[in-house]
Amino acid sequence: MLSLKNKRLVILGIALIAIGFLAFIIQVAGSHPERAWQAYLINFLLWSAIAQGGLLFSVIMHLTKAKWCGPLTNVSEVFAAFFPISFALFLILFLGKAHVFPWQHMDLHGKEVWLNVPFLFFRDGVALLILYGLGFTYLFYALQLKAIGAATGGRLRSFLDQKMGINPDVTRIHQRMSIFSVLYALAFAGVLSLIGYDLVMALDPHWISTLFGAYQFVKAFYVGLGGMIILASALYLTQGDSTGLTTTHFHNLGKLFFAFCLLWADFFYVQLVVIWYGNIPEETAYVIERTMVPPWNFLAWVVFIVAFVLPFFILLNKNVKTKPKFMMVLSAVILVGIWLEHLLLVGPALSHGSRSLPLGLWDGLITLGFLGLMIFAVVYFLDEFPELKRFQPAVEKR
Amino acid sequence: MGPECQVMGLFTDEERAASAVQALEETPWQLKQVHSPIPSHKLSEALNLKKSKVGYFTLVGGIIGFFSGFALAMFTAAKWSLIVGGKPVIALVPFVIVGFEFTILFAVFGNVIGLLIQGGLPDFKGMEIYDPRCSGDHFGVLAACPEIEKGQLINYFKEKGGVTRVFES
Repeated sequence: MLSLKNKRLVILGIALIAIGFLAFIIQVAGSHPERAWQAYLINFLLWSAIAQGGLLFSVIMHLTKAKWCGPLTNVSEVFAAFFPISFALFLILFLGKAHVFPWQHMDLHGKEVWLNVPFLFFRDGVALLILYGLGFTYLFYALQLKAIGAATGGRLRSFLDQKMGINPDVTRIHQRMSIFSVLYALAFAGVLSLIGYDLVMALDPHWISTLFGAYQFVKAFYVGLGGMIILASALYLTQGDSTGLTTTHFHNLGKLFFAFCLLWADFFYVQLVVIWYGNIPEETAYVIERTMVPPWNFLAWVVFIVAFVLPFFILLNKNVKTKPKFMMVLSAVILVGIWLEHLLLVGPALSHGSRSLPLGLWDGLITLGFLGLMIFAVVYFLDEFPELKRFQPAVEKR
Repeated sequence: MGPECQVMGLFTDEERAASAVQALEETPWQLKQVHSPIPSHKLSEALNLKKSKVGYFTLVGGIIGFFSGFALAMFTAAKWSLIVGGKPVIALVPFVIVGFEFTILFAVFGNVIGLLIQGGLPDFKGMEIYDPRCSGDHFGVLAACPEIEKGQLINYFKEKGGVTRVFES
């Protein structure tokens, strides 16, 4: 059962967080603090993207007035629970500013106006606050239609129940949801682009790709869907039909996942082909370092195969998409692939000139800590809103 | 066995047509064809059809197209082997676009060819035994029986709630 009352799950979560925290502390205090911060940055980007992309699913379903999703929107909304953690993790990133911004001691030729640590943290922090604020406002209205008068006694829940009132005005809530879903979708594109430019692209400050922001937010939705598949499968496998999830839901979610796998690869290719044609040294150096020079060329092929080729051929099949257990494993493998893709993007800039891949056991342990945080957030939220585990059709617009 | 005759039961109701199709299995008569004015899930369930093989045609078409696209791009580039901007004449990065477009084009061709082959089209003879009402609001269920049992088959369709039309061969 996915609940804080399940002691084994709680122990597992706390153990994961403790392992990750200890591994991070040992790395930071050791001889290679930059490696710890590299793993931290990658995990912050990846797990935040899962949460942001996860909520985007519910938003898109509302915007397109889709009905096929049914209880899948519940699964999507649970991921918003990671938003506060994500913001806190962003603030902690400030402590590692000496290690995650290699451009601090470079001659930036006038880019200092944009690339300086105070301004970067200020604008990205504000951007994340806007994104998460809009997400939570959307969620507040969406939950009103799903969680009416079934208090669980949790502190967050009682507070929200007071705010929500007993008899919500359905039409008004739908209007508010529409407004905030548009705003969240726009903010998603804008803020994730900004984060992508500032925290990933700018690590190599002389390289630019105007499409990089779009590449980042398409990828975020891709991993968000991957996270959703894992959570939906976990819910379905532990609670069965009471979740309201059916084979058709898994099939459709799998199709969307497949589509965004293609779109992600497409955005990669679209950037690559422009750089290839332009053949300008400032632009090609970035790609050559990552795809043609060891040790990174090996990693580039691993990423390409694990995050695109493998899912492409597997997801062509209809039957595998309807098997929750299988999809759970496949999504997890793809998320690992995207983790490595982040390493491919930030690694060469952070570990400049390294002969071997800056990847080891410690990175894995730190990642486990973030997994623990995500599990904790998800389970806590499901405890506060158990309605999200049981399917009931949302109140229709009158 | 006497000379064969074919009787078509015409139904205005999808459910009745489907039940007539289903119940025909328990009779000695042979189901020949079903005409439907709309794509009907109920009828395809009643007919208990095998999974369509058209998808394989599409897949094969797509695979052929993928390689033909690369082959065409390489062939044309090699025919005019002029080095532009220091780039290799045969370069895989831009050829992906041609390969991708050809994958889709040939997959569509494969799909249409598969549709024609699997559907047995064009079928000029099929039009001889056809009722124009099946392009309007009627479902037509065509069954064959020996000439002497003609009356029984007509009654069967009438019981199922349809009107009938006899096609003498």
